[in-house]
Amino acid sequence: MLALWLLINLVKDPTEFFSVAVIGLTNGSVYALIALGYTLVYGILQLINFAHGDVFSLGGLLSATVILDAFDLTAASSAVAIVIGVAVSLLIAVAFSSALNTTVELVGYRRLRNAPRLAPLITAVGMSFILQNVGLYFWGPNYTSTDNLIPNSAAFSIGGVDFQWDNLVVILLTMPLLLALTWLVTSTRQGKAMRATSQDPEAAAMMGINVNRTISFTFALAGGLAGAAGLLYVLQFTTIRFDQGFQLGLIAFTAAVLGGIGNLAGAVLGAVIIGLIEAFNEGLEWHAAGSDWTRSIVFGLLIAILVFRPEGLLGERTPEGA
Amino acid sequence: MSTTATDRGTDSGTVVLELNDVHTYYGAIHALKGVTLDVRAGEIVTLIGANGAGKSTTLRSINGLNHARKGAIRFSGRDITGAAPHSIVKMGIAQSPEGRRLFPRMSVYENLEMGAFQRKDRSNFKGDLDRVFQLFPRLAERRQQKAGTLSGGEQQMCAIGRALMARPKLLLLDEPSMGLAPIFVEKIFEIIVEINQQGTPVLLVEQNALMALDVANRGYVLETGRIALQGEAKDLRQNERVRQTYLGET
Ligand SMILES: Nc1ncnc2c1ncn2[C@@H]1O[C@H](COP(=O)(O)OP(=O)(O)OP(=O)(O)O)[C@@H](O)[C@H]1O
Ligand SMILES: [Mg+2]
Repeated sequence: MLALWLLINLVKDPTEFFSVAVIGLTNGSVYALIALGYTLVYGILQLINFAHGDVFSLGGLLSATVILDAFDLTAASSAVAIVIGVAVSLLIAVAFSSALNTTVELVGYRRLRNAPRLAPLITAVGMSFILQNVGLYFWGPNYTSTDNLIPNSAAFSIGGVDFQWDNLVVILLTMPLLLALTWLVTSTRQGKAMRATSQDPEAAAMMGINVNRTISFTFALAGGLAGAAGLLYVLQFTTIRFDQGFQLGLIAFTAAVLGGIGNLAGAVLGAVIIGLIEAFNEGLEWHAAGSDWTRSIVFGLLIAILVFRPEGLLGERTPEGA
Repeated sequence: MSTTATDRGTDSGTVVLELNDVHTYYGAIHALKGVTLDVRAGEIVTLIGANGAGKSTTLRSINGLNHARKGAIRFSGRDITGAAPHSIVKMGIAQSPEGRRLFPRMSVYENLEMGAFQRKDRSNFKGDLDRVFQLFPRLAERRQQKAGTLSGGEQQMCAIGRALMARPKLLLLDEPSMGLAPIFVEKIFEIIVEINQQGTPVLLVEQNALMALDVANRGYVLETGRIALQGEAKDLRQNERVRQTYLGET
């Protein structure tokens, strides 16, 4: 049915269909960067880091501030100034969010590593509130808005489908990050330490792996990706607020569960699926349910997945858990 | 078993590992109540005892996973009582733990690679890998298989191989014969002797006291967290109490 509906839309107006798909892919990229953070941390600690969405907001808010106050960027700034300003904000957002997420683990979760599961979970919820209030304190209750730095004009066009600069930049910045992450986890010494620790932390320690450092590294990585997502979000939507991470975090978390929590490719897949569902539902002309229903559809899908395939799309059914 | 303690003589070499009045707890449970033992260069020392006597806890005190609350542990003259597990591995203590503890979703090859994780001399990796594959040809056949899907015996080989990949200065083995077919048990003990003859001292925890005392130079008998008996393996083998309680002889 779903496929048929998509097909009819595709046939009726292919240009619209693909334009909407590009938007879905863009949103999916931002979700993917956040979802990976949930999945990385879950993989290594079996903990849902509820504060993760707020690390994203703070990263976004900080990059908006850097763009506004340090570089004074406006839509009228020269392309060179914008590229440099955005690159520097990206670095700052990534560094800041890495450090922040690592600190959250150090302060909030480390001592509770051997406590009952519920204890760190509650702490994570508390951390989320603390970070939101930090955002509220420094950035206030209103939206922090930048100019539209990346033009919405078409970069190029294939068969009538426009690829806008802003979408393109988000997707083109996300791809290398995902590739780098995959390489890091599968092929580097640090990545192997992460995988070993996630499978059996005690055995990892017995191999000479510094488990605490590996966990810190994982939080830094997750935080860095959230910081990058924060900047990309600001570039795309030009506006962000202290509580933005709550919503986006929830969606990204859903994406991670949809794909199979603990599975990196799954997080990306889940995020792209949710991005596309949103875009199709809100952007297609012919018989779409419309934006009022987006959340219901996304969470309906999540429930269906949890009922029929609890391990998620790409999750493994393993006796010791994901 | 061709080589026994008596053949090799009891080497009274330098002390490699030394536990002095070690007390270890699990929360309020007092699991080790003053364990004193040592392992010297060139030796196989076995630690035997009933279920729950504290054998694994002794190894976990040495490797830093459960720090001793009282007493001291010294390795090559250095105090390691409160050291972090990863730094203890770095100093040269490797192990095949109780229950094998392989990384189930990593291949056999990757598991062996993890065994060499802390080593700086990457260059000898290949040679050590060959040595492990030579000891356990089965592992070579299964190198790409996920460790979680190996049979129990194969997992045991992989766990021992992984420990060897660390090129340890001291090898801790917790029930290496557990769950193995009798023919494999023989083979594992032969390999332990072989590893030892290549120069690695071994602290061997075993349920199979008969085999353990056969290959060991010295032994300790642990009863509810205390050393009840100790001595030359061949003497323990003849000891009335050991024969009745641990060797099932009357
Ligand atoms: N994680 C734990 N929490 C609480 N008590 C523990 C824990 N691990 C072991 N113990 C207790 O400590 C004591 C020693 O256990 P240990 O595992 O060292 O015995 P063992 O000699 O290795 O026995 P086995 O031959 O069955 O392996 C036992 O009484 C056991 O119940
Ligand atoms: Mg034991």
